[in-house]
Amino acid sequence: MVPSRRRRLTANAALIVLVLMVPLVFRTKPSVIGYLNIAMLYALATQGLNLLMGFGGLVSLGHAAFMAIGGYTAAVLVMSYHVNMFLAVVAGVAGAGLFGLVIGFPSLRLSGFYLAVATMALGSSVADVIKRLAITGGDYGLSNIPSLRLGPWTLASDASRYYFFVVVLTLVFLAVRNFLNSRSGRAVRAVRDSEMTAAAMGINVAAYKLITFIFAACIAGLSGALYAFTISYLHPTNFGLTFSIGLLSMSIIGGLGTIIGPILGALFWVMLPLIIGAKLTYLATVIFGLSIIGSVVFLPKGLSELVTRVQTRLKL
Amino acid sequence: MNILANLALRGLATGAVYALVGMGIVVILQTTNVMNFAQGDTGMFVTYLAFFMITTAKVPYSLVLVLTVVAGALIGLIVERFMMRSVRSRSHLSLIMLTLGLSLVFQGLAAFLFNTEPRLFPPLVAGDSIKLGPVVLSRQDIVVLLATIIVFGVLYLFLYRTKQGAAARSISQDEYAARVLGIPTPSIYMLVWAIGSALAGLAALLIVPRFSLEPSFMGLIQVKAFSAIVLGGMDSVFGAAVGGLIIGVVENLVAYQFPAIKDSFMLIVVVIVLLVMPQGLFGKRQQRRF
Repeated sequence: MVPSRRRRLTANAALIVLVLMVPLVFRTKPSVIGYLNIAMLYALATQGLNLLMGFGGLVSLGHAAFMAIGGYTAAVLVMSYHVNMFLAVVAGVAGAGLFGLVIGFPSLRLSGFYLAVATMALGSSVADVIKRLAITGGDYGLSNIPSLRLGPWTLASDASRYYFFVVVLTLVFLAVRNFLNSRSGRAVRAVRDSEMTAAAMGINVAAYKLITFIFAACIAGLSGALYAFTISYLHPTNFGLTFSIGLLSMSIIGGLGTIIGPILGALFWVMLPLIIGAKLTYLATVIFGLSIIGSVVFLPKGLSELVTRVQTRLKL
Repeated sequence: MNILANLALRGLATGAVYALVGMGIVVILQTTNVMNFAQGDTGMFVTYLAFFMITTAKVPYSLVLVLTVVAGALIGLIVERFMMRSVRSRSHLSLIMLTLGLSLVFQGLAAFLFNTEPRLFPPLVAGDSIKLGPVVLSRQDIVVLLATIIVFGVLYLFLYRTKQGAAARSISQDEYAARVLGIPTPSIYMLVWAIGSALAGLAALLIVPRFSLEPSFMGLIQVKAFSAIVLGGMDSVFGAAVGGLIIGVVENLVAYQFPAIKDSFMLIVVVIVLLVMPQGLFGKRQQRRF
């Protein structure tokens, strides 16, 4: 075995052990695990946005709407229609994907600022419509959503959900990575780099833009559905423009167009306010803003660039 | 009939708000090709300064108005000189992110320094509402409407009757050719950012008495202002003004008939406008570029 490869394996093994150890380390402070769970759900949604923006070159300022649709679909199906939870999550993902198709159509004709405004408009109106509907609890929000259940087991504790989310996150991230390394993934990236060249090489630009949008929406929908059963409370204003911009910030700070970027971005987003304390929470917003500007100007690959530098330094 | 006229005119007053904010966005967009998502929050931040000038320092209102415009312009200058200049050639995506980052900075700073509780901003002109025939309008609404007309007039004079305005328009047509012809593009960019941000400050100050002053009060207004410039065509100040007024009126009429879809109706219309005629009502028809 080549030395560098052995080193990389060791590092990966160490990382896996570290990730699995976390709930044991923080056994006395379950809230930390709770926040980590939230970070993982955000990372999931951000991965969808990352796929869209980093690899597809398409802007979305309404990504939180996909999460809202996934979450509300799943929660309403379980609560009002007593659907099996697994099927409800699948329905949530499908619903988000369907809406991704709807939002994807503008992307066929629009790009840049125009697409940004169109997605912003659609995203804001989704939150607004949810607020007016009766079945979604309207302006009161949807509370007492049942806890996540996996077959016969109820994942009531934060630690059990933590392991479940780690598995889901790993599977989705592997799926995204493999998608990007496949023929379709190369086509998506070609469309990002130059639509005209891609079209000239026989890539169906429209189809791949739609596929990217649907895939990204499905991932966000999954995140939203899991979020609903984790937090057990949904409110439309949580999925408005502000949160869409939040997801965008996470993907930029973590690093657009990198697979691990969304995790880093989401961890930064969730953990920074905790670290600097409740009194200075709003200072965190300032830091987020500055980090976005900093990543655009100095670190186009965001936090993941730092990770890459450490990896090169350690010769991993 | 009376009700409809009343609704339409009140809608016009709301539309003037969107028009004011929208014109500032378009001024910057058409010359520098940056869609400024921080426009609303620049105004919000400046308005906080104005609030403390009025309530704690007891500065007279007219002076506050001038100082607000100056503060907005200064912010614009700083943003252009130290942020946008170094990234001018980046992609649309990067530019959107930069201004979004800037808007987060302003929001966070406002919430951190002044806390988030809503504050009531004293109106520019106090007094009862005015009756114009069957229609009742508050004095502040009339001020906003007048301001929209004045701002539009001044912007028109600037863009079409001054040398700098002509330079700004020529840059929007072809930046390279403008430079070849000896137009000092960096200073024109700074000028345009200063004007745009000054407008942001002015707009926010004029409209804040209708809402309450809090770090997020410009959020929805900015979304509507973006809708207005899309409707009017992205490269036309006139379009932004008219688009804003149209959105205000239609929104108010729709809200009367179908209150449930008040906010989403116009947003959906905007998406349809974008799809069917991306050049908007008054924009130049553009070839689709890859």
